[in-house]
Amino acid sequence: MIYLKDIKKSFNQQPVLKGINLKIGKGEVVTILGPSGSGKTTLLRCLNFLEKPEEGIVQVGDIQVKSKKATKREILSLRRQSAMVFQHYNLFAHKTVLENVMEGLIVTKKYKKAEAKRESELLLEKVGLGDKHDHFPSQLSGDQQQRVGIARALALNPEVILFDEPTSALDPELVGEVLSVIKAIAQEGITMVIVTHEMSFAKEISDRVLFMDGGVIVEEGSPLEIFNAPKEDRTRQFLNRISRDFSVSFLEERAN
Amino acid sequence: MGKAFDPSLIVDFIPTLIYYLGVTLQILTASVLLGMVIGIAAAILRVFRIPVLNQFVILYISFIRGTPILIQLFLVFYGLPAILLFINIDISRMDALYFVIITYALSNGAHFAEIFRGAIKAVDYGQTEAAYSVGMNNSQSFFRIVLPQSIRIAFPNIANSIIGSLKDSSLAFTIGVMDMMGRGETLIAATAHALEVYLSLAVIYYAVVLLFEKIFRLYENRINRHQSVDVSVTG
Ligand SMILES: Nc1ncnc2c1ncn2[C@@H]1O[C@H](COP(=O)(O)OP(=O)(O)OP(=O)(O)O)[C@@H](O)[C@H]1O
Ligand SMILES: [Mg+2]
Repeated sequence: MIYLKDIKKSFNQQPVLKGINLKIGKGEVVTILGPSGSGKTTLLRCLNFLEKPEEGIVQVGDIQVKSKKATKREILSLRRQSAMVFQHYNLFAHKTVLENVMEGLIVTKKYKKAEAKRESELLLEKVGLGDKHDHFPSQLSGDQQQRVGIARALALNPEVILFDEPTSALDPELVGEVLSVIKAIAQEGITMVIVTHEMSFAKEISDRVLFMDGGVIVEEGSPLEIFNAPKEDRTRQFLNRISRDFSVSFLEERAN
Repeated sequence: MGKAFDPSLIVDFIPTLIYYLGVTLQILTASVLLGMVIGIAAAILRVFRIPVLNQFVILYISFIRGTPILIQLFLVFYGLPAILLFINIDISRMDALYFVIITYALSNGAHFAEIFRGAIKAVDYGQTEAAYSVGMNNSQSFFRIVLPQSIRIAFPNIANSIIGSLKDSSLAFTIGVMDMMGRGETLIAATAHALEVYLSLAVIYYAVVLLFEKIFRLYENRINRHQSVDVSVTG
């Protein structure tokens, strides 16, 4: 389904991905954890060539692209294998909620307008925005916008959906809504790759967890293996720090 | 000098002059529409840094901004036929109106290009990435996502520029176009009441500018209705 071979990427001569190898099977839900700057976002963006890797092979679905000689056409077909949910939603600001979801269907899937509309209405119903069709993104709260982002991604019926910290721009009290929508989709067997800092969510939803640090995948395994019995020091340190932060903020909240 | 000031003449002059407003608006409309095409094309060449053409556009814009429009008008009026004569096209008999339209189109094009360039850059790049992520190619994402928003962002400045262009078009008479201003000049020659003619022209131009401003503001409110964060509707 997804196959990455020796992906390398640097920014300004600084290597950010130092040779990533990865296979993800159909229907698998994979979360990527790791400290800030470890290359999680960059890796995700290499999957749809929003970042062009300098070296390596990217395959999603049937489309395989060799980074060094990727043509525009290849990149386009690679992108049509996936859909992405962005940290800052990136909705089309001049289009209504419904039009945001329809856009991909009309432009890339060549649906008729009525068909696209019907399909999109169903999806908006599913993410709990059945009553917001004619709103513009600026009229929605953050979690509503992100749910539109998810519906827009789902509409394409892609081989895989890529999530880059889908809840980290949200107010804490709105995170739950979005996470539960993602959980519901995960149960339908759609392949997903999720970068997140929400540990309990990752634990619950993942078939497999990757831990990244310094541009490499340090460790991978089932949620049980990674969270309860991490093999690598770096993983352990990261998880300790996170859980300490978590309990500190938890206590602070209790105290207030 | 002219004759004694007679304000009642203004009442006579205004209808005579307004009859030629059509020509002025014709120049304006044609040069704004052509200017839009030139402006958007030039902005695209600039934003996407198309080699050679990008440099050419920079030169074009800086020339237009750095020279008086009156001189541009004469350069086009005398220069264009001379250049075209080289390739055996004789346009010396072409109506002066067309030279005016060409000049103002080029001038508007340069100003619009700068406005659009800023507006294109003002659209959050994340939306372009989102367009790519749903499988659009470069031109689909540009024309469906970025450009419509840039036009909205550009609109207030474009509107100002159009109003400026309306006033600039009063120079058309210098190469013999019979627009409002041209008719004014002939009225002055015939009546020697220059002040009354210029006052009448001022009234007409001012009224048209006010009308344009009103229309532009209404239109702007309409296209921007979704930009306002209206939580009460969201409920
Ligand atoms: N477009 C870019 N230009 C230059 N440097 C970049 C760019 N994108 C990322 N980087 C750098 O690459 C490194 C990895 O960034 P990346 O965004 O992949 O990290 P991340 O693991 O997603 O971090 P975070 O958890 O903070 O989102 C960082 O040091 C970052 O500064
Ligand atoms: Mg990131």
